[in-house]
Amino acid sequence: MAPSAAPAVLLDSLGKRFGATEAVVDLSLAVPAGEVFGFLGPNGAGKSTTIRLLLGLLRPTTGRAEVFGDAADDVERAHRHLAYVPADVALWPGLTGRECLDLLAGVGPGTDTAYRDELVERFGLDPGKRARAYSTGNRQKVALVAAFATRAPLLVLDEPTSGLDPLVEREFRRCIAEAAGRGQTVFLSSHQLAEVEAVCTRVGILRAGRLVEVAGLEELRRLRRSEVTVELARPAPGLERIAGLPGVADVRWTTPLQLTLALTGPPRAVLRALGEVDVVRLDVREPSLEEIFLDYYGRAAA
Amino acid sequence: MTTRTPPRAAATARPGAPASPGTAVRRLTVRQVRRGTLVVALLCGGLTAFVAQQYEQTFSGAVGLDSLAALADNPAIRTLFGPALALDDPGGFTVWRTGTVAAVLAGIWAALAGTRVTRGEEEAGRADLLLAGRVRPATLVRTALGVLLTAGAVIGAAVVAGMLAAGTAVTGAVLFGALVGGTAMAGGALGVLAGQLVTERRSASGLAVAVLLAGLLARMVGDGVASLAWLQWLSPFGLLGRVAPYALDRAAPLLVLVVLVAVPAVLAAVLAGGRDVGSGRWRGRDRARTPSRLLRSLPGFAVHRVRRPTLTWSLGVGAYYLLIGLLATAMLDFLRDNPVFAELAADAGFARLASVEGYAASLFSLLAVPVGAYAAARIAAVAGDEAASRLTLLYSRPVGRVRWAGWEAVAVAVGTVVVAAVGGLATWAGASWVDAGLGLGGALGGALSVVPVALLCLGAALLALGWFPQAVLAVGVLPAAGGYLLLVLADSFGWPSWVRGLSPFAHLAAVPADPVDVAGLVGMLAVALVLAAAGLAGYARRDLRG
Repeated sequence: MAPSAAPAVLLDSLGKRFGATEAVVDLSLAVPAGEVFGFLGPNGAGKSTTIRLLLGLLRPTTGRAEVFGDAADDVERAHRHLAYVPADVALWPGLTGRECLDLLAGVGPGTDTAYRDELVERFGLDPGKRARAYSTGNRQKVALVAAFATRAPLLVLDEPTSGLDPLVEREFRRCIAEAAGRGQTVFLSSHQLAEVEAVCTRVGILRAGRLVEVAGLEELRRLRRSEVTVELARPAPGLERIAGLPGVADVRWTTPLQLTLALTGPPRAVLRALGEVDVVRLDVREPSLEEIFLDYYGRAAA
Repeated sequence: MTTRTPPRAAATARPGAPASPGTAVRRLTVRQVRRGTLVVALLCGGLTAFVAQQYEQTFSGAVGLDSLAALADNPAIRTLFGPALALDDPGGFTVWRTGTVAAVLAGIWAALAGTRVTRGEEEAGRADLLLAGRVRPATLVRTALGVLLTAGAVIGAAVVAGMLAAGTAVTGAVLFGALVGGTAMAGGALGVLAGQLVTERRSASGLAVAVLLAGLLARMVGDGVASLAWLQWLSPFGLLGRVAPYALDRAAPLLVLVVLVAVPAVLAAVLAGGRDVGSGRWRGRDRARTPSRLLRSLPGFAVHRVRRPTLTWSLGVGAYYLLIGLLATAMLDFLRDNPVFAELAADAGFARLASVEGYAASLFSLLAVPVGAYAAARIAAVAGDEAASRLTLLYSRPVGRVRWAGWEAVAVAVGTVVVAAVGGLATWAGASWVDAGLGLGGALGGALSVVPVALLCLGAALLALGWFPQAVLAVGVLPAAGGYLLLVLADSFGWPSWVRGLSPFAHLAAVPADPVDVAGLVGMLAVALVLAAAGLAGYARRDLRG
């Protein structure tokens, strides 16, 4: 049972250095129990290192990590609360899928075998084959089935769907939703922003080993700019000054009767300016996570 | 903050955790080493029982005690095979003739198994899946140690059973089995320890095997040089002479063997905690200073790949043969002072030991084994790269398999010449140091004369690469290691000459004492070429693994 007070994941000033390389720097983060947390970042940002620190596979250079209040390096206690799916699943080539599942159940935090059989069905896994005959996606399915079948209070998923086809990916999202419905916490690292957008309630963005943003998805959208498209009934030369308003950027007149602009922050000033002209249609589109993400890294590159 | 999936306080009832995660891990480890344990146990038990049995049939009473005793006192023989004690007893003879071979086989297998189940599992990423469960890294290491020590005990028990089945004395059989089993245990512990220190499995295996073979070298020095006899206490191989099964039957030196097992085992268990999973205690640099210029063509890549292994093998071979060179005068003086022993040694199949050329030649024939193993190991590395999908990118380019494997084989062939030449140079250097009178040309010629056997190994390894890619190393070392064993057995027991002729060593002249056997040399090269061509043809056709 998940202790009610302690967060599912607690990272406190976590840092990891490999020789001269600082893989993770001063990372502090708390994921409360029951949350579906998305962990984003470009290649080499330190996502997998953070997860391996959380699992106690790596020793932090600074700081500490806790799982439901248990120190990450005390794996016998901490790993009672979690199940893990790695990005590259390597299995024992001589064991069948079923044997791999039995082995992982044997070392895991307790497995609901009836649910496991159901998951094997749902993911379309053939557990009778030896692991050496599995494709990348099928190895991934073994790890996913093993993880979901534990019903552990925390699921740590490191790019779990990189080798899966869209049908299995849809099943994966259902499993996440069911897990969240049962109150399980999910810590999901992914490049598939559509997937993160679909299942996560809050995301953290990592860049060069540092956590640069932690926010709820809605909040993130609000902070980010929305794309506003305005269509006018007749040309309005007075509207040129809209470019100078606070929070407005990238004003483009596609035709004399249509303009688009990027808006950050409260829309009051823009709405007031638009109120003085004859607006036929107003379209405000929230940015996708991908745009937010690219916005972050585009700025970083600049 | 809005949440799409509001957290609920009550989680679904969870199934209870299995009582002991260690059991699942132990079962897995047993499964990973059981077949190898069985094969090595059968080999060690079978070989020793077979030799003891053959002795009963051929030797009993037929060979005079005097000649055997003279052989026992020969420093060269002692250096090579260890002290010959109780040769009048089938058990004693078996210990002398097969003890080192069985111990080296068991020890090296256990060392390789030790790195495979620890570092290999981490390198493949499979350990992560287990360690994400309720298993500590230290538990994995302790389990591996426990299973490998048990495997060593099984191998030892097989030797005991074999020797008892051959009708030898019980005390001697138990002591001999304890030594072989203990060597396997020490090798396994060393392998696990190397797995904690080094990040790559290949380097870890190399380190563990190098330490074991350094122990063998120490044993040779200790047996050859009286003032350095204490070196025998440092390795399981040396302890074989200290315990002297069937002769002195001393049990006390086994305590030292216990220490030799316990020290690496305890170190490995201690080092297992508190390190990063996936990397060893000794981390190499992650960045090279300058990009290698060799990596711009296939031949250059092949050279780049064999450079370091060639250097390491050359260092090892060089150390052995420097020692053999340094021992030359000691042995020659002994034989000059005791001409009767020289005659007896000649009668016993060690002809011409009285001359430095004869001494060098008989030891150069052994050189074929490490040089052949080097060639087989390099081709096994190609097969390993393929299984680990490291060749996929290379072969997705316009690179033919025969072309790439061919360049690799050419680089390895040149490497065998280099390693053999280093052996010859080292012998010459050692012999010159003690003024034994061995010429540079003679030493080099003698060392290079075994290259055809190594090329046979290369050919056999290529054949396996094409047709049995899981067994490249085993098939590759067969012409050298198997051939040497066959010759020893055939000579010892007077087997028919066609059986003896199957061994490549039967076609190897005792260079530099005798002129090169040109027909044998050409024959071996032809067979090597045929094997290589057949292997490459298979390699071009078959499915790539990985």
